[in-house]
Amino acid sequence: MKILVTAKRVVDANVNVRVLSDNSGVDINNVKMAVNPFDEIAIEEAVRIREAGNAEEVVVASIGPTQCKEQIRTALALGADRGIFVETDADIQPLAVAKLLKALVDKENPDLIILGKQAIDGDNIQTGQMLAALAGLPQATFASEILLADGEATVTREIDGGMETITVKTPAVITADLRLNEPRYASLPNIMKAKKKSIDTYTPEELGVDVTPRLTTLKVEPPSDRQAGVIVADVEELVDKLKNEAKVI
Amino acid sequence: MSEQATDMLFDLTLEEEQRITRESMQRFAEVEMGSVSRSADEAAEAPAGFYDKTVELGFSLMPIPEDLGGVGMPRSPLSNMLNAEDLAAGDMSLAIGALTPLSFINAVLDNGTAAQIEKYLPRFVAEEFHAATIALMEPRATFDPNDLQTTAKKSGDGYLIKGTKSMVALGDSSELVLVIAELEGEGPAGFVIEQGTRGLTCTKEEYMGLRPLQLSRLVFADVEVSSADRLGHGEKKFDLQRLVDLGRIGLCAMSVGVCQQVLDYVIEYCNTRVAFDEPITNRQSVAFMIGDMATETEAMRMMVYRAASRAEQGLEFHKEAYLAHIQCAKYAMETGTNGVQLLGGHGFIRDHPVELWYRNLRAVGLLDGCVIV
Repeated sequence: MKILVTAKRVVDANVNVRVLSDNSGVDINNVKMAVNPFDEIAIEEAVRIREAGNAEEVVVASIGPTQCKEQIRTALALGADRGIFVETDADIQPLAVAKLLKALVDKENPDLIILGKQAIDGDNIQTGQMLAALAGLPQATFASEILLADGEATVTREIDGGMETITVKTPAVITADLRLNEPRYASLPNIMKAKKKSIDTYTPEELGVDVTPRLTTLKVEPPSDRQAGVIVADVEELVDKLKNEAKVI
Repeated sequence: MSEQATDMLFDLTLEEEQRITRESMQRFAEVEMGSVSRSADEAAEAPAGFYDKTVELGFSLMPIPEDLGGVGMPRSPLSNMLNAEDLAAGDMSLAIGALTPLSFINAVLDNGTAAQIEKYLPRFVAEEFHAATIALMEPRATFDPNDLQTTAKKSGDGYLIKGTKSMVALGDSSELVLVIAELEGEGPAGFVIEQGTRGLTCTKEEYMGLRPLQLSRLVFADVEVSSADRLGHGEKKFDLQRLVDLGRIGLCAMSVGVCQQVLDYVIEYCNTRVAFDEPITNRQSVAFMIGDMATETEAMRMMVYRAASRAEQGLEFHKEAYLAHIQCAKYAMETGTNGVQLLGGHGFIRDHPVELWYRNLRAVGLLDGCVIV
């Protein structure tokens, strides 16, 4: 069995991003970048499936500028076997990512595709779903547990209001939620081994995918500063304030 | 460019492996060490299972030869130094503890014969943590590594070790102890002694900082050791100066990691702490102090990196390591003190980590032979 996972290059979760002065986006110059944490969970899950003997190969893909190879290399240090890098400097939106991944699915024929449920930069939560639709594969999003048996994946999903367990036939697209696992730390020996693993490079043109943006960002604004709070004397006062001042109930 | 000028420069660009390693270490430090730093200090011991977790990172595996089960990578003082800096940012005691076996391994690789490497090192490729340590320091005010009072005397086929060592990291739990002693007529020599050997006693020492590290006093009362357990064993000369210098690089790197934590913490605190209707960083006395801390911490870092870079290249690095140690000993303490100072009364409260960092940083000027990179 072959598993395809992704490693999107995003701003590190610990960085406090700042909005650019022209409101066109956030400033990512000289900012620490990392693998999207949800992708890291997806990679970890794939590696665990392989370690349990249920898969032979974990292939990791990343799309973007040259530096994305760093995230592929990190994923290889975490245990992935081989990398695929789609090089482009274009602004890549979820639909384009889904199309590029669809092209890679056609090329690699993976038996399972595990992606992060969302990336922590755009927070779009679209790529996995779009990929499943484009590739005509079943999908199980927001997974907190994956059990594989007999060409099926039984996935526990974290949904509004609780958990849901569904079974999908593989190949399938699964997106990883926070509680699926706790990613390991790359060990020094594995980091050295990652050096020898191969990374194939493609361009969107080579994959026959048009990545022209379909969406336009009008304006990016920072959230308004938090106001100082007040301590209320009792529940009545709280309810009164919520009703008459905040007007939320 | 003259040869002299060329070897003055060093490159600060990280190798790909170093970048990934730093990310991994920094996350480990934050999640697994920073979170237990306070409780470990209160308990004066490492949390159960902590050191086994560090084994998964594979420090010890790296330099051990492949035929003994290791990875067999060439020794990299530079990468070891970066690990020391990153782990100490999580907790200095736990970082020293985690790297103590590696220090032992490095000292054996540097000074031991092939037979000794084969004898002592295989245990460190196991999945669980095996402690081993170096006993260098001695309990007196003017301790100098070049003037050892612990002695080794030829006795029959082996040697008799006599003397007292102090501040031995993981002294109580180490299976093997590399004790450095003055060998009559020959100068400093290293002997590997099994814990529990007759005549060797260990007692815990109490210090203001590095409390989870279980720094111990080892007393050697005519401990017998065979000539086969003398490092080098007639083939190699024991190089104490190199061991001390590499230890200074390791400890200094740790002080850089902790000082950076102090700096990051006080900047955040002082930018949000409001007095007289404005953040206290608007006060020059505060801003200048933080500016000085940032400058000196960066200077510490550059000096340690340079010493490590020269060690990595096989160049002479004694002077660089010595100067780095002077800089770090002085400014680690000052940064620790100022960290407490900048928090005002809050600095004295144990809810804030600055007092813990202050106590640990006091050790930078004292410890020798602890973290051999």
